[in-house]
Amino acid sequence: MAAACDRIRRARPLLGTFVEIEAAAPPHDANAAIDAAFAAIGDVHRLMSFHDADSDVSRLNREAAVRPVKVHAWTFEVLGAAVELHAASDGAFDVAVAPALQAMGLLPRHAGDDAEIVRLSSSDGIELLPDNRVRFRSAGVRIDLGGIAKGFAVDRALAALRRFGAQGGMVNAGGDLAAFGPPQTIHVRDPRAPEHAICSIAVRDGALASSARRFDPFESAATSAAAIIDPAIGKPPGEVHGATVRAPSCIIADALTKIIMIRGTGAAELLERYDAGALLIAGDGELQITPNLHRAVHLAA
Amino acid sequence: MTHWIRYTLPAAAIVTVASPAYAVQYLTLEEAQKQAFPSATKFTELQAGRAWKAEAGGRVAGYFIFDRVIGKHLYIDYAVALTPNGAVHRVEILEYRESYGGEVRGSGWLAQFIGKTSGSALQINSDIRNISGATLSSTHITEGVKRILATYGSRLR
Repeated sequence: MAAACDRIRRARPLLGTFVEIEAAAPPHDANAAIDAAFAAIGDVHRLMSFHDADSDVSRLNREAAVRPVKVHAWTFEVLGAAVELHAASDGAFDVAVAPALQAMGLLPRHAGDDAEIVRLSSSDGIELLPDNRVRFRSAGVRIDLGGIAKGFAVDRALAALRRFGAQGGMVNAGGDLAAFGPPQTIHVRDPRAPEHAICSIAVRDGALASSARRFDPFESAATSAAAIIDPAIGKPPGEVHGATVRAPSCIIADALTKIIMIRGTGAAELLERYDAGALLIAGDGELQITPNLHRAVHLAA
Repeated sequence: MTHWIRYTLPAAAIVTVASPAYAVQYLTLEEAQKQAFPSATKFTELQAGRAWKAEAGGRVAGYFIFDRVIGKHLYIDYAVALTPNGAVHRVEILEYRESYGGEVRGSGWLAQFIGKTSGSALQINSDIRNISGATLSSTHITEGVKRILATYGSRLR
């Protein structure tokens, strides 16, 4: 006998953006599930913030070149995915581009950081050891998990909703989202004119993430930079305006958007490998969609 | 090898969402108070429409502050729950509004919302419930919370 089910939706400022969580469950259960989901996102925020000196990421950047550093299992999991994606993308996905972001003023410098290390930092320098320990092979490695942690946080929050018995739900962290239960319609902003929707995409039991090239899409301080660095040149790539990826998990969708921003349509095989589909808006204004996503995309919103 | 399906787009967006606004009410003030302090039996208004004291069984459970900050163009209503010691217990968005479709031109358009409750004048496109794309920063909320702490953090204790 199914209890009366409410769809409850709440939002909090986390991960530097607005995180919106919806759960379909009896009212009391829905709020408990949403609280647990927000708590999971808060945990990821604390563990993986580049800005917070006590985070796993900051401890790694300070100490991992000197001695192995033990991190939380979640941080270890994200680093494992990052290293795998680095190899799978022939180096296009690289969480060690933090020095380039610092050089552009998009990440703060911490004590001991200097501009010299920009060229030396690479995910090749990350060594994953048993027992959730991590070592950096060189003193020049600086990581920032900004390109992947948000997707991971969304996955963890969605897992919390399921664990609390929600029959359906969605977590949307500033446009990186995942859902289960009834299908959800997602409007995708035009990366060239973010006040307009370019299309809508149906998502059911999966994740959707977007990246855009524009640093300041709304010409206001209220928009965070889409800070993507092409590791090959140490600068933002220029060929793609924006990319949206649908994948089974949000961590993969999040990371794949960055790879498409750098590799463009060349990322097609990687998308297939991760069971993902994508659309991109190319520099010439052409919209390109992979066949497996084509039917879910509605250009007339 | 996957072949991407191509569409040629004009310079501007091919699709314009006709409605001028996207808005979501997440929680009413009362719901947010209850969420923040589930054990509280009494909320006393300390400052009209702005600050409340939450009490449970005669003891102070904490404080609840309502505020609004400008988001992209429109106001975002949020609430900060403070512990009895004046530390942040929780920040929750009550209502999020975003102009959508380029209707916002000047302060005249904006002025119609000032002082209104719950976006009463907004035409809401209820078809738009979820948005992906360029990430909006919550910096203004963070700044707002800092202001609230500076204003109330020590004064309420």
